[in-house]
Amino acid sequence: MIRLSLLQFRAQAITALAAMAAFAILLAATGPHLASLYAASGISGCQPASCAHLASNFLQQLYAAGTYWMLYLLGVMLILVAPAVIGLFWGAPLIARELETGTSALAWTQSVTRTRWLTVKLGVGGLAAMAVTEGLSLMQAWWAAPIGRAVGHGGGGNYLAMGRFSSLVFATHGITPLGYAAFGFALGATAGALIRRAVPAMAVTLAIFAVIQIATPLWIRPNLFPPRRAVVAVTSLGSISLQQGGLDGSHFNLGAEDLPGQPGAWLLSSGAVNAAGQPVHTTPAACTTPSVVNGPGFFPCLARHGIREAISYQPASRYWAFQWAETAIYLALAVALAGYCFLRLNRRRT
Amino acid sequence: MSDVIQASGLGKQYRRTWALRDCALAVPEGRVVGLVGPNGAGKTTLLRLAAGLLAPTCGTITVLGERPAAGPAQLARVGFVAQDTPVYVRMTVAEHLRLGAWLNPGWDNDLARQRIAQLGLDPKRRAGALSGGQRAQLALTLALAKRPALLILDEPVASLDPLARREFLQGLMEAVAEHGLSVVLSSHLVADLERVCDYLVVLVASRVRVAGEVSPLLASHHRLSGPRRAPGTLPAGQEVITESHTDKQSNLLIRTNEPVLDPAWTVKPVSLEDLVLAYMSRTGDDAPARRQQLGVVS
Repeated sequence: MIRLSLLQFRAQAITALAAMAAFAILLAATGPHLASLYAASGISGCQPASCAHLASNFLQQLYAAGTYWMLYLLGVMLILVAPAVIGLFWGAPLIARELETGTSALAWTQSVTRTRWLTVKLGVGGLAAMAVTEGLSLMQAWWAAPIGRAVGHGGGGNYLAMGRFSSLVFATHGITPLGYAAFGFALGATAGALIRRAVPAMAVTLAIFAVIQIATPLWIRPNLFPPRRAVVAVTSLGSISLQQGGLDGSHFNLGAEDLPGQPGAWLLSSGAVNAAGQPVHTTPAACTTPSVVNGPGFFPCLARHGIREAISYQPASRYWAFQWAETAIYLALAVALAGYCFLRLNRRRT
Repeated sequence: MSDVIQASGLGKQYRRTWALRDCALAVPEGRVVGLVGPNGAGKTTLLRLAAGLLAPTCGTITVLGERPAAGPAQLARVGFVAQDTPVYVRMTVAEHLRLGAWLNPGWDNDLARQRIAQLGLDPKRRAGALSGGQRAQLALTLALAKRPALLILDEPVASLDPLARREFLQGLMEAVAEHGLSVVLSSHLVADLERVCDYLVVLVASRVRVAGEVSPLLASHHRLSGPRRAPGTLPAGQEVITESHTDKQSNLLIRTNEPVLDPAWTVKPVSLEDLVLAYMSRTGDDAPARRQQLGVVS
């Protein structure tokens, strides 16, 4: 049965290997130069005071060159869509095509039970799906390692400066691609078993997968572990976004973009609070004089009036806990869907 | 001799419609059984239940003494060729044979190769490029080479031209003669069945209308024509299957195990086609009631 499964999987495997080879060539051709740029940037062995500056310069250099920025984005997109493509073209037809063309009557009347048939089919396809997606991810991780290190050193200032917790990076690095691939494949197979026609099953697979992949970073991932909360002095904030409004800047909105002493933390929300810990948006009257509002004295003035910044965040040390938790959830979903396929094929025989 | 297929109270429901309902059937071993019936009688459903492709909604069916598709051993003993003889269009003929070898412990590779060679099929040819007849032959080869004890074929020749149909049935008969397997074959073409079957089952609306060996069935049915008379006046032991009357004449198709002695009748033998059509057109459960009613009127 494994041999048959491999034989039937031949065309898909060749396509996947060709795509991976093309990606590998692209990365191998540009990776060493990227690494040499990093080596020349002086980030490794930098003095703490200058690291962030050097890293930002390096990222700016890459961004200005265009190619690397494009390649980086291309790689990320490829890894993001791979599980969806696999679900569509490997998962959805897996059972649906057999039912549609009637070959299920041939496959299921050989001396192999349906359970075994499905076990092998899902096993071979699922493992291949995970291998391809994780393979792409590892290649990208190797290629983009200098960018990641520069971001880790505090480099910022452009689109390349995405931290490990940013949606695009989190979903394309580490072990999450494994979970997405297994889930996409199992989702496709289940849709095919239910709908029994490959093309509608593909459409349904794409729709559900897209919804889940959008919902996860927005609503599920931030709540996998209870966020921590920190209240810090407004004068200690490094990177901020400040909006002032009303007459004479009578209202303000202060967002923090990083947390002092917690490099690489994932900031979920932030806002100014008063001494009692209540959110505050009204500028203390004493700070509304034009010279203060528009000058460097604004934050010290806020601080003098007891205003601090409250930040809810996930510390950088939780990165792997998040990776494992999310991957486990997706793998569990994949296993549940596969289990449903078994029930469906065995109980409601077609 | 035991039965290869035994069903009782067998039913299969799709959403609200019953494809097969309350079907009782016994198919003896060592026969080539022709299963006939009008479209929608439940032939395909019955055969797919027997092959284990469907699970019954109610009732029981045993095939070779076990639940269909109960396990690899049961599956190995039943060969199945589905309607329209599906094969993997992107796989070559040789790959189909490898599939058979991989998935069936009792695979007879010599038989498979010989048949493919006899048929003149190019092993490197993709199954999708084969003609309908060749595809059916490939499907039959797969089913035969697993060396089943029972071979089930669902309208295997329905879409074939007359020549391909004859070749297919010839190949089937050769295999039956050589390996002595039991065969159940559905068709709505009585002429095909006449050529290959020695046992007949007529299925109408899920019910078996008649089942038995072909020659005794033909010997016990007669076509009678003579002066008009009420069927109720026939001797006991003469069962009317169909009847038609004009003002002066009655035409009956009857079943009896005794000779027809009444000199008023002209007695003619029936063909298998006559027999099948008679049972297919006979309305089921209300047939005896209607006969009596007619008897009273005339």
